[in-house]
Parts: sequence; structure tokens; C-alpha cells
Amino acid sequence: MYGWAGQRLRVDLSSGKITKEPLSYEYRRKWMGGRGFNSDIIYNEVPPHLDPFDPRARVCFGVGPVSGTAAPSTGRVTVTCKSPLTGGFGDSNMGGHWGAELKYAGYDQIVVQGRAKNPVYIWIDDDKVEIRDARHLWGKFPREADQMIKEELGDEDIHMMLIGPAGENMVRFACTFNDVWRAAGRTGTGGVIGSKNLKGIATRGSGTVKIANPKAMMDVCNRLRQVFKNDPMKIGLNVYGSLCLINVANRDGWFPWRNFQGGAHPLANNMSGETHAKTVLKHREGCFACPIGCGRFTHIKEGKWAGEEFGGPEYEHAVPTGPRVGILEDANDIWHNARLTNDYGMDGIETGAVISAAMEWYEKGLITTKETGGLELEWGNEEVVDKLIPMIATRQGFGAILAEGGDRAADKLGLGDEGHYYTITTRGMSLPGDDPRGLGFGYGLSFAMGTRGGCDHLRSLCCLELSGALYPGLNTKILGDERPNKPVTTVGKPYMVYYEENQKTTTDCLQVCCFTTHWSYAVLTPDQVEYLNAVTGLEFTEEEFQEIGERIINLERAYWARLMSGAREDVVPERFTKEPMPQGVDYQTNVGVVFPLSEMLKKYYKYRDYEPGTGFPSERKLKQLGLDYVAKDLAPLRSKYLSESEKKKKKYYY
Amino acid sequence: MSILTKAQAKNFAEMDDFMLELCDFLKSKGVIDAKIHRSILLKGFSRLVDYLQEKKAISAKEAKEAMEKGYTSLVYALAK
Ligand code: SF4
Repeated sequence: MYGWAGQRLRVDLSSGKITKEPLSYEYRRKWMGGRGFNSDIIYNEVPPHLDPFDPRARVCFGVGPVSGTAAPSTGRVTVTCKSPLTGGFGDSNMGGHWGAELKYAGYDQIVVQGRAKNPVYIWIDDDKVEIRDARHLWGKFPREADQMIKEELGDEDIHMMLIGPAGENMVRFACTFNDVWRAAGRTGTGGVIGSKNLKGIATRGSGTVKIANPKAMMDVCNRLRQVFKNDPMKIGLNVYGSLCLINVANRDGWFPWRNFQGGAHPLANNMSGETHAKTVLKHREGCFACPIGCGRFTHIKEGKWAGEEFGGPEYEHAVPTGPRVGILEDANDIWHNARLTNDYGMDGIETGAVISAAMEWYEKGLITTKETGGLELEWGNEEVVDKLIPMIATRQGFGAILAEGGDRAADKLGLGDEGHYYTITTRGMSLPGDDPRGLGFGYGLSFAMGTRGGCDHLRSLCCLELSGALYPGLNTKILGDERPNKPVTTVGKPYMVYYEENQKTTTDCLQVCCFTTHWSYAVLTPDQVEYLNAVTGLEFTEEEFQEIGERIINLERAYWARLMSGAREDVVPERFTKEPMPQGVDYQTNVGVVFPLSEMLKKYYKYRDYEPGTGFPSERKLKQLGLDYVAKDLAPLRSKYLSESEKKKKKYYY
Repeated sequence: MSILTKAQAKNFAEMDDFMLELCDFLKSKGVIDAKIHRSILLKGFSRLVDYLQEKKAISAKEAKEAMEKGYTSLVYALAK
């Protein structure tokens, strides 16, 4: 077999049973790898109403057919579970080197189920797999546990997946790391791993990936690496990291100032990639086989956090516990907060989002120091943010309420609809630091339609509107029109989102980094198909490639449908559709803009062939995609969703 | 005989999001079948232009122009 390792590793932590299951040709062709394999397992093995922390729940780690090869950036891993944050379908994707190592050890996927009696970690040494005691690692930061495991196993070169203290404490938005700093941030995968008493998975792989056509593979990889040399997005990402977006976001008004009360601020440059590079950048880093190298390593030199070091931050890691909570004056506070969320192992986006929602509740008088245990949640209060991050991770005091995520916290505090207005979530997950009133209407549409909730830049990514203008002719080639490369327009956006979601999903099955094929468009779909075929020796067509993405999106959407989540929940937070964008700086381009979701939604449904009333995938579409069993599952639910009793329910999470 | 009338071409040219409507229309006229319709939506505009050129519904020059100028150029070519 070429490309794939051809087997799934299944570990039951309750019984200690370890099994290896072959992955058939038909299965691989239908689901491709990574995200596809994982979504299939969650749909079939995790009943939609099961508590995500129940030992019977699964957590999956998937790599793809090109993982570990010389194609651009093939080290990524998708982590999938039923999300403890949203209660719905959840996954997240991380860079690093662990994905390649897993493949070299001989696996395409790991499925973990059950719960160990005491904390453990899994040690995979090629085909030797064991469950080892991790009681001494419990409570450690990932960087500490990584070092301890390496010493214990006597090998500095192994790679591993780990969680931090937040995951152990089942914080609903705890994340999963590999290579210490590369996070699968979203949907709370770390909490599910922690609920299984699993600290991590250390891996050593000494195998290779068999390539069907090495000459063709070498040719396409060499050609693509040449293209990257002059690629405009690659250059920006490499030199300044994703913080290169700060000044762009500020100009175009999608900088998330104070929980999206504003979209631009005169001090934004304090935390720009340019400033970071001049002041605290220690060195640049890249994930496995990556021609871009957007990773940063930060060393704070001055002020009260002087001497702190960590991997990162990225744009989406820095803005939530920075401008989103009103901190912008001293960028060292922002870098410090990012370091804290990393060490404790929490999604930076959700951490900043829930703190900023609490700050707005406090500002509007919905909560007082009585509820917060004396914390004065004023915008920009770094002292409070510095205290709250560890309190959330360890579920102490007011932190224990916020550890539940914004919408559950609003309910626990009894804040009603007004409380939920400020949580800035869709289907229970916080939107990232990108205001659709400025970043773009395509992004906004994909936030509403994300199959893991309020989604983000790494999931749905309709970057043809973000960076399309840097690639003249590209929007025309795909969409037939250059105008959709403008962010604040509905023109061409329903088709753009349909196309890009399909492509991005299959990209997540290959487990390559979307920055190489969205954001940067150095690698286009035909190039992906070319290297996929060179590796596997099969003859995938571009249509088949895109169709696999469409199949997975429909399966994930169906998971939500089984939870009675459909058209009524396809929304973005009302702040974006009701409040015109205020002016933050005089050069801001989007003053007065509101986001017109409903104009695009109907058309998008038509592309997807979603039923207009329920928003569920139509029976016709499911059958076309070979998902007849899913069509059967949804058949009795269609009328239920439209019933008066269902219509009355307010669903912020599941 | 042209595939679109001038009025139809104008109507398509003024649409905010034309792809699905145009493909549905071409299918209803028998210019493309269900398989090609699907292929175009999955692959994008260049697939539509390639197919129409292959079927000689547009000339090589018109195809080149459509790829440079976009769908408005294509729909007016289909109205010639
Ligand atoms: S672009 Fe950045 S995130 Fe993506 S693989 Fe490269 S270094 Fe990792």
C-alpha cells in the first residue's frame, strides 16, 4: 500500500485493550484520512446525546495519506471528539511534527476510548504500544511533561501529544498540544482527553511512507517549493508570523477591540508582527516539511514579565487576551497572557472570549464583584486577566464558572438573553478575533455555517476574500469573478464559501497546512491532487477530491441535525448584524457596516442542497454522497425539528 | 442559434452570485448534463469555460477572454 499506513490503532483505557484495525481501500477512498476518518468515527460511535466526558466517548487523532512526505507542510493532525464546549461535533487541527511521527510509527489514526483508573500516557514505539503511569506528570505544563517523558524514555527525538492542567480539570475549552507549543485549540478536545485520565501520547516511528511514484512526487514538490519562494503570503507569514495581520485588521476594521465593540484602535501597532519582530522575537519556527515557517518563539525582555519565553503567539492566540479584553498599551502583557494560556493548556480564543464577555457583563451591570469574588472586571485590567487565566484552568472561584464556556457561564449566572448577547458565539463556540463586518462577508457566512460551531480561520477559511487580491485572476478562475476578493460585499460569497469549505475539508483529510493552500494560494487544488496521486499511485480527480470534502461536511452537519440543530441555529452573534461598525481610527475602511447574513444564506443552502425549512442536508444530497444511512437517521428528525415545541427551545449549546 | 438571449445574458451579468443559476439554466437547455453540472460546481468556473469551449459553444478566443474578464464576458459570448 502506498501513502497510507493502512491501520487504525484503538486504545481502550478502561480495559487496557489495544487493537489494530485495517483500513480498507474503499474506506480510504471514501474518507481520505485525518478529519474524514475522525468524523466517520464520531458519527458512528459517539451517540449525539452522550456526555462528552462519558468514558464511552471517543477522541480521535488522524493523519492523512501524504502525512510525513515532502509535500508542503505534512505534519498536521486533526483531533476530534464530541465537544464538551458546544455539545456538538468538535474538532481541531494542529501543526508540529507529531503527525509525521505517527505515520512513521505505522498508523493513520488513533481512537482512544474508556477511562484509565489513574493518570496514564500512551507510548507508541512503532508497533509496540503500551499504557504507562503518568501520575507524576499530572498537573505539569506541557513543556515540563514533554521533557520528563523524554528523559524517562531516554530519547530526545520523540514527538508527543500532551494536555495541560486545564485538560486534566476538564475545562470545556482545554486544548491539545504537540511538540509543546503547537495547539489544536478549539472545541475542548483537551478536556475530553483529560476526562480519560490521559496525559499524552509519546511516539517514536522508524518507518517511512511508501511513495508510488517518487519521480512525479519529487517533480511536483520541487515545483511547488519554487513557487513558494516568491509567494506574497508566504513572505508575510514567514517574516512576521500571522501577527502580520494586525495592521491589516486594524485598517479594515476587524480587529476585535473590547469584545467587538470596535474594530480598530490607534494602538494596534503595539502588537503588530513588525513590532513583535523588533522587540521580543527570539527565533522563527516551522512545522514538519513546511516551506512557510510562520511559527514564532518569543522572549520577553523588559517589564514585569521579563525572562518569560514561549512558542508563539499567532494572531488568533494574541488578540483574545489582548485587545479583545481591552489590553493594548503594553504588548508584554499580551505576550504574557498568551504564554499563560499555552502553559495551562487552554484555547486562547475561548479564554479571551469568555473573559471579555464577563467584562462586558460587568460593564453593563449584569454582574458585580459579588459574583466575581471581588475581581474588578474592568476592560484592560491586566492584573485581573493574569489572575483569571490560572483560576479558569484550575476551576477556582469565578474561574470555575468561566471554565464552562461563555454560554453555560451566562446560564449559571442567570443572565438571560442579554447575557448571551455578549458571548459572541455560534452553536456555543466563540468566534475568533475576526469581525465579519470587516474581515469579510464570506467569513461571516462560514462562521454561521461552521460544522464545529462558531468556527474560525483554520476551519472554513474563505481566504479568496482575504488574500485573493494578491493573486490576480484566481477569483476569476474559480468563481468567474474578481469582485468577491473584496471583503465587504455579498457578491459571489455563497459560491465562494461552498467551494472553499469543500477544498479546505479535503485539505484537512490530507493533513496539510491550510496556510499553504488558503491564505497563500501557492498550492491549488490541482497541485494537491497531483501530489496525492504521486504518493498513493491512485487516480483521484479534482471532482472526487472536492466531493470527499462535501461528503464530510454533510456528515458533520448531520451530527448537529441529530441534536436538533439546523436552520434556526445558522446565525452569527447579533452584534454583527445589528450594530453598525464604529470608527476606531481615521483610516478605517468599514465604518457603519453591518453584516447581511440572511442575504447570502438562502443561496448557500441551494449550493449545499440543504432543506430550506430545517437546514438539514437533503435526502437527495446524502444519497448522492453515498450517505444513505445518514439519510435514514435524519428522516424522522425533519418534522420534529419543525414542530412548535422545538421552535420554542433556545439552544445556545447542546 | 445562441444559448442565451441578450436579455438573459444581461440578467445573468447583473447577478450577485451567478454560478448555480447559470449551471441550472444550461442544464435545462440541455447544454450540460447533470454530471457536468456537478463537476462544474465542484471544480469552479474554469471547468465551465473549458467544457463550453470543448462543446464549441464558445470559441477559443471567447474562452480566453472569459478566463481573463470573468463571467460577464462569458454570458455575452453565449448570447452571440
Ligand atoms: S504555515 Fe505555520 S502553521 Fe502551517 S505548517 Fe507551516 S509553520 Fe506550521
